[in-house]
Amino acid sequence: MEGLGHVADALVRFAAPGPVFDVLWATLLGIAVGMLPGLTATLGIALLTTLTFTLPASQAILILICMYVGAIYGGSRSAILLNIPGTPANAASSLDGFPLARAGRAGKAMGIATAGSVAGSLIGMVFLALLAPVLAEFALRFGAFEFFWLAVFGIVISGQLTALDDPVKGWIAGFLGLLVAMVGQEGIHAHQRFTFGIPDLGGGLGLLPVLVGTFGFAEVLTVMKQPAYEAVRGASDSVIPRIREVARYWRTIMRSGVIGTFMGLIPGVGEDMGAWVSYAAARRRSKEKFGSGSLEGLISAETGNSAAVSGAIIPVLTLAVPGSAPAAVLLAAMFVHGIRPGPLIMIESPGFVFEVVVMVLFASIAVLILGILLARPMLKVLAVPREWLMPVIFVLCTIGAFAIAGRIFDIWVMLFFGVLGFILREMNYPMAPLVLGLVLGDILDKSLRRGLVLSEGSLEPFIFRPISAVLATATLVTILFSIPAVRRGLAGLFREKA
Amino acid sequence: MPRADLITSIVLMAVGLGAAIQSWQMPRLQHLGVSIYSAPGVVPFLLGIVIAGLGLILLVRSVRAGGLALLRPARLRELPFAADGAWRFVLTAALTLGYATLLVGRLPFWAATAIFVTAFVFVFEWKAGIGAPKLARRAVAIVAFGLVVGVSVSVLFEDVFLVRLP
Repeated sequence: MEGLGHVADALVRFAAPGPVFDVLWATLLGIAVGMLPGLTATLGIALLTTLTFTLPASQAILILICMYVGAIYGGSRSAILLNIPGTPANAASSLDGFPLARAGRAGKAMGIATAGSVAGSLIGMVFLALLAPVLAEFALRFGAFEFFWLAVFGIVISGQLTALDDPVKGWIAGFLGLLVAMVGQEGIHAHQRFTFGIPDLGGGLGLLPVLVGTFGFAEVLTVMKQPAYEAVRGASDSVIPRIREVARYWRTIMRSGVIGTFMGLIPGVGEDMGAWVSYAAARRRSKEKFGSGSLEGLISAETGNSAAVSGAIIPVLTLAVPGSAPAAVLLAAMFVHGIRPGPLIMIESPGFVFEVVVMVLFASIAVLILGILLARPMLKVLAVPREWLMPVIFVLCTIGAFAIAGRIFDIWVMLFFGVLGFILREMNYPMAPLVLGLVLGDILDKSLRRGLVLSEGSLEPFIFRPISAVLATATLVTILFSIPAVRRGLAGLFREKA
Repeated sequence: MPRADLITSIVLMAVGLGAAIQSWQMPRLQHLGVSIYSAPGVVPFLLGIVIAGLGLILLVRSVRAGGLALLRPARLRELPFAADGAWRFVLTAALTLGYATLLVGRLPFWAATAIFVTAFVFVFEWKAGIGAPKLARRAVAIVAFGLVVGVSVSVLFEDVFLVRLP
């Protein structure tokens, strides 16, 4: 009941002309960012964090969440029309979206994608409102031992799920992120680690310059390296989805919404896996032929990735652990604005969680309105040549790296991580575990050392405290299942029993 | 990929072992009565070992996949991506790094940005054999675009959103 009161308060506050204007422009910008191949939700949020950090916290977070929701939806446009997912989250959408466009049903595909996105966002929003307070209360039981395992499990599961073909590369990215987070003054004795006498390294590497480098500069290099994409295919049919047609897929929508939310909840996994797992689940149960223009395939992927947005925000608010790379930037932005996400959030600022719920609601409504009304004019965004767009993006990356701390050094950090991110990406290393490692480095460092001090060096509480035991077992099982010999052995065992 | 993995694995093992050695040499602060378990080097030491271990797994895998054979001098000249893409990558890297390291901070931001954007678009839009009148028209459009971006980005960030610029 208390939650409903907070929701009502937030609804009244955000239903004013100022916030509504912010919702509209930020969502529209998000859709444009998502549409453009090479511009991701992560970069969009990072750049807007720079632009909004002088604004009041609530206004800035509203703008960032609208950018987030808008960008994940916007990526479906280029997936449908160009067969190039605008963001990694929309890769599954191109499998059925592009064949639909090729068959002259681009309008219908965009309409179905819009309906799926809005439904996914709303399902995710309901889970956000219901789960965040419960999870925050549960997280109050977490001590140093549990936070240590949460960080390790986050890196292992994120590495495993974002690099399904080669989990070793996912783990390498994650552990490199953790190691990079060790640079600078540590949080217990204020000792400077890995600074090599460079004063600027004393404060550590800022999350935003690193993110702008890995998701901005690296993307500029990647996009310019690739051949130019084809001219955009127009849409001649209606973009307004028929209610009956959408309602036909209600089971798929509900299933994908739940799957997307829970994939979002898993640290560092996020929207792309939300889409892929929802798509795979829908394919198993559907009678339609997926991969050749199935509306069900498209709606499942778009519902899954949009639901994962709210799912990824849940651990941000309750554990200060991001569910995805864009959520990691959102977490950093919350810290910039003096908001302290974590287990105490429902005690210190219970209203904020429900404010975020209302922000997602407003962003979803904006996606529905803008996605349908501006479907055709927005296609012009895809006609901007990359040779004219990419230098502007790089200028924004430079400002984004510099502006928060006002240090030229941060521009150097952005450049270094841009080149590193490009090289790692070329070699199929996922970026999400790297980002998660950067965020979790401090938690892992302090938790392990505090835990060892508390237990006087004994590993017992790390293994036998109930929550620790669950997280440790989950980590071990994840690692074991990624070893082909173990998987084969288990499969053989079950075959023999059968 | 086995060749790239082989080189990466060596770099990773060097980074991991280097971090572990540095961490081992960090002060343990026992003279301050600090518990050995909270020494600053504990976590980076373990991370260094894990990274070196993962590098070793990658090394074994890439050697099994024939990565060593690909390190012969003749094979090393092969580019990791198509020549056309390589040129575009080199040009992009040179222009962006030049802007961020040589222009930003030395020129007013709007001027540095206008020069960079103009140069970037011109380099990638330029085509051999284009006639002089068309080239002149194109150049005017590109310079105008560079100036508009330089001035509008500076005004938007500094005057509207009150954000500092380099």
